[in-house]
Amino acid sequence: MATEVVIPMLGVTVETGTIVEWLKQEGDEIQKGESIFAVEADKVSTEVESPATGILAKILLAENETVPVLTVVGVITEPGEEVPEMYLQGNIIGGSEEVDVKPDVAPAAVEKTSAPTPAPVSASQGPIRAMPAARKLATDQGLDLAFVQGTGPDGVIQLKDVENSVQQQGASGAKASSLARGLADKSGLSLEGVTGSGVRGRVMRSDVAQALEDASRPQLGKIIPMDNMRQVISRRMCESKFSAPHIYFFSDINMDPLLAYRRQIVPEFENTFGLRPSINDFLIKAVALTILENPLLNATLQDNQVVIQPEINVCLAVALPDGLITPAIANADREGLADVVRQRSDLVRRAKTGQLELAELQRGTFTISSLASFDVDYFTAIINPPQSGILSVGQTRDSLYLDNGDVKSRKVATFGLSVDHRIIDGVVAAGFLQDLKKKLQNPGFTFLHI
Amino acid sequence: MKLKKEKLIEFYKMMQTIRLFEDRIVDLYARGAVPGLAHLYIGEEAVATGVCDCLREDDYITSTHRGHGHVIAKGAKLNPMMAELFGKKTGYCKGKGGSMHIADMDAGILGANGIAGGGLPIATGAGWSAKWRKTDQVTACFFGDASSNNGTFHESLNLASLHKLPVIFVCENNTYGISVSQAKHQPIVDIATRATGYDMPGVIVDGNDVIAVHEVASKAVKRARAGEGPTLVECKTYRWRGHHEGDPNQGERYRTKEEIKAWKEKCPIDKLRNKLIKDDAKLKNKLASIDKKINKEIDEAVDYANSCEFPSINEMYEDIYA
Amino acid sequence: MREITYYEALNEALRSCMQEDERVVLLGEDIGSYGGIFQVTKGLLAEFGTERVVDTPISEAGFVGASIGAALTGMRPVAEIMFIDFTTACMDMIINQMAKMRYMFGGKGKVPMVLRVNIGAGRGTAAQHSQSFHSLFMHIPGLVVVTPSTPYDAKGLLIEAIKDDNPVIFVEHKRLYMSKGDVPEESYRIPFGKADIKREGKDVTVVATHALVVEALAAAEELSKKGIEVEVVDPMTLTPLDKETILNSVKKTGRLLVADEDHKTCGVGAEISAIVAEECIEYLKSPILRNCSPDTPVPFSPPLEKCFMFGKERLTESINTLMTYQ
Repeated sequence: MATEVVIPMLGVTVETGTIVEWLKQEGDEIQKGESIFAVEADKVSTEVESPATGILAKILLAENETVPVLTVVGVITEPGEEVPEMYLQGNIIGGSEEVDVKPDVAPAAVEKTSAPTPAPVSASQGPIRAMPAARKLATDQGLDLAFVQGTGPDGVIQLKDVENSVQQQGASGAKASSLARGLADKSGLSLEGVTGSGVRGRVMRSDVAQALEDASRPQLGKIIPMDNMRQVISRRMCESKFSAPHIYFFSDINMDPLLAYRRQIVPEFENTFGLRPSINDFLIKAVALTILENPLLNATLQDNQVVIQPEINVCLAVALPDGLITPAIANADREGLADVVRQRSDLVRRAKTGQLELAELQRGTFTISSLASFDVDYFTAIINPPQSGILSVGQTRDSLYLDNGDVKSRKVATFGLSVDHRIIDGVVAAGFLQDLKKKLQNPGFTFLHI
Repeated sequence: MKLKKEKLIEFYKMMQTIRLFEDRIVDLYARGAVPGLAHLYIGEEAVATGVCDCLREDDYITSTHRGHGHVIAKGAKLNPMMAELFGKKTGYCKGKGGSMHIADMDAGILGANGIAGGGLPIATGAGWSAKWRKTDQVTACFFGDASSNNGTFHESLNLASLHKLPVIFVCENNTYGISVSQAKHQPIVDIATRATGYDMPGVIVDGNDVIAVHEVASKAVKRARAGEGPTLVECKTYRWRGHHEGDPNQGERYRTKEEIKAWKEKCPIDKLRNKLIKDDAKLKNKLASIDKKINKEIDEAVDYANSCEFPSINEMYEDIYA
Repeated sequence: MREITYYEALNEALRSCMQEDERVVLLGEDIGSYGGIFQVTKGLLAEFGTERVVDTPISEAGFVGASIGAALTGMRPVAEIMFIDFTTACMDMIINQMAKMRYMFGGKGKVPMVLRVNIGAGRGTAAQHSQSFHSLFMHIPGLVVVTPSTPYDAKGLLIEAIKDDNPVIFVEHKRLYMSKGDVPEESYRIPFGKADIKREGKDVTVVATHALVVEALAAAEELSKKGIEVEVVDPMTLTPLDKETILNSVKKTGRLLVADEDHKTCGVGAEISAIVAEECIEYLKSPILRNCSPDTPVPFSPPLEKCFMFGKERLTESINTLMTYQ
């Protein structure tokens, strides 16, 4: 049976490690207890011992890459054994797409949910013993006999064993890779009807991802089963809406100053930092600074205590094809604008490729949700629990106003603030919104805090 | 019975055909044109000629591994014979039998046989068959001195005598079974004496005298056709060449050059030629022209065989079953 | 339909062929006045006379060879060898002459004869009178090998053998001579190369010959009560072998047992197993099993001979073993 080689726990506080040197190469024989690689963490280098005897069949992490502890970096197999497929996909997933996964689960670099019927291969080393009809069925179904428990005479794999395995995969024998299965299981998607693009019509992870995308596309008469993310959103929104009494406040903010300001600084900014600041970046920064002056907006209700979070981590809602995710820009009040931009663009990119870490979601204290790119003037947003406030941003539109009797036009956006009335009263909310408006309409001063 | 001159010339022609054919095979075999084995009849021509002349076309013979003389005497044609020896598909056996298995059912040739003594029971059966079908066909069975020791000899003579089958058992006693001389393979000298053991006539004849052979054979055939039963005819003769082509120096491992020379002086063809010319000197030319004609026929047979094709591979799988 | 014995069915076949065609003659030891050691030729001497029913001397090579010569020249002889064991005395005639003449003579040597033999142990007749080496003949190209298991099959196959233009080794079975079955009174032919599915089933294929067909059917009957359905395939002729029926059956059941009385090594079971392994191995749910006679001469002592033989019990055991593979 295959043994995973991981970056071991290196200390109570150590969270990541870097392999500085592999002491064995792929294909080498290795004994249990023999040094397999050297890892550096917190500027200390240690040699790690092999957890098993066998052959270092696959190295999954190169030298000089930093990863969290417990990341799977290699696979040891028994002689003649093949490396289980999940390690060969090369598609290493960090973190989790679900926000309600227990936080103490270390983000494994490899999906472990996918081993089908994890049956230990019969104890004998060497070639797998299976009856011809069993082999044929396994081949046709793309099933790895290494995962089939043999219950025939002498532990041989008989036809019935393979039939059972096939049935357990779900679908009338849909053949799919373990990663595909894992994603399908996690998303609650049935493999039946998913067209495979792999060898002999094998369903690959990308096929499942595509199917998920297709499945969620609404059409008349279509029944779309709620996938996991949808169900989570559904549950959390209900939780928020029906437990936190929301009150809503709206204000039109003159965007001309901010737009001009941005226009002014973008070229130099880009030159210096290699980044283009977006309006959202300014919003994040401004909101953070406003929260600094209105700390109640950074609070959580825990039992009968109003806990004001120590850090201001502003979330930006990112739309995904099948849902919504809200990664938080850490310490948005203290970070320079360039850093905010950097964080924001990195988080958004990783949000879209499913590579966010749990911490990046859980640390948020306030959320900004923008539909500025749509023809929507304003909207009410539901607070992201356990936060206490959320800012909604409508589109920037032309608006007429009177300036000393003259009709003029300017760019305006309606901002909405929803707050949890258990913690925040109307006065506090209104004050916050007012402060935010002032900051946004006076960017030159506000962003002096850079 | 005094034979007419024409008959004797026929004998001559037949013996020469066999002789010249076999001579040609010596040459062809040496040059690799004949695959496998060749067991040549040179020296024994009088036996096949004398016996087969007594037979009708619808009579049968069984032959041996040394069967070219028998089958030619019984009516086999040179072209298909040569083609068979070369292994060509136009041979008597479509190239699938070779020298030792040449057969022509239409000519009553029930096959040369690669098994020593193999033909005796078959000939017995052919004789039996004639009896069952109530025809007066007879069967001549050729075999050698060594085969007279084989179980089949005894079983066949016993059966043939018991049921009075129309079979002429012709033993060509050339005094050798491959390399073992008669003196070393049986306690008797005259195989014909074994006939008494089976209650049938046993006759000894000079196998190199075609006229004498013919006379003895005629009597035996007449007896058989009359339903009186089989006869054992022992022809004393000799093969000039080794057991097979490739037997070193014509059998010098087991016989002497002197012995061979002595027998060559008793050549049956020379004997007949001399007799004919002595009786009629004019025949010399005629005989010479017969020789020439035969050689020409043999040339044609060789050309024919050379021009024909080998059987195709799928023919290997044909003719196993009906 | 009336029930007659296997040997009576053979007798009827011979009689009807001899009546129909005067070219059919019988040769063998003690087949005339005695009626044959197993009474197969009973009454035929009286009906057809000494010309056509010949008691031969103990000369297997002689009379089998004579049968060949007669067959070559227009007759259709049926020769009997008293026990298959005695075919050794005329092996040259069988293997080198009878089997090969058609081929060696380029298709012109016709040998339309039947050589009747019998196999099977169990009578204490010991090593030289109890053998079942019919596989030897299956091995030689040019011979047809027939293996009837019932009186009905015996009559139809023997008539076919006599009318066929090929040399046929007709393998009868000592213990079946007295077995009874329904047999039509009229003449009929059963074609060669067509296996007979004597019982249909979906769980296990048993290819059995001769007396083992009967044993396999008995085992199948009992196993059916336990929910195991056995398909019994009787090849009828070993050459030509109906491969298709056997393979189709194995594809259906996925399990094969070959039951034949020849020795295990290089026997009928070995050949059929190899064919299945070669041509439909991916259908096998279980290993292939063979129930054959052990690789020893047939012992004389009764308990040893009993151990040498096998039947329903051993077949059942093997079938159960096959069923442990699902």
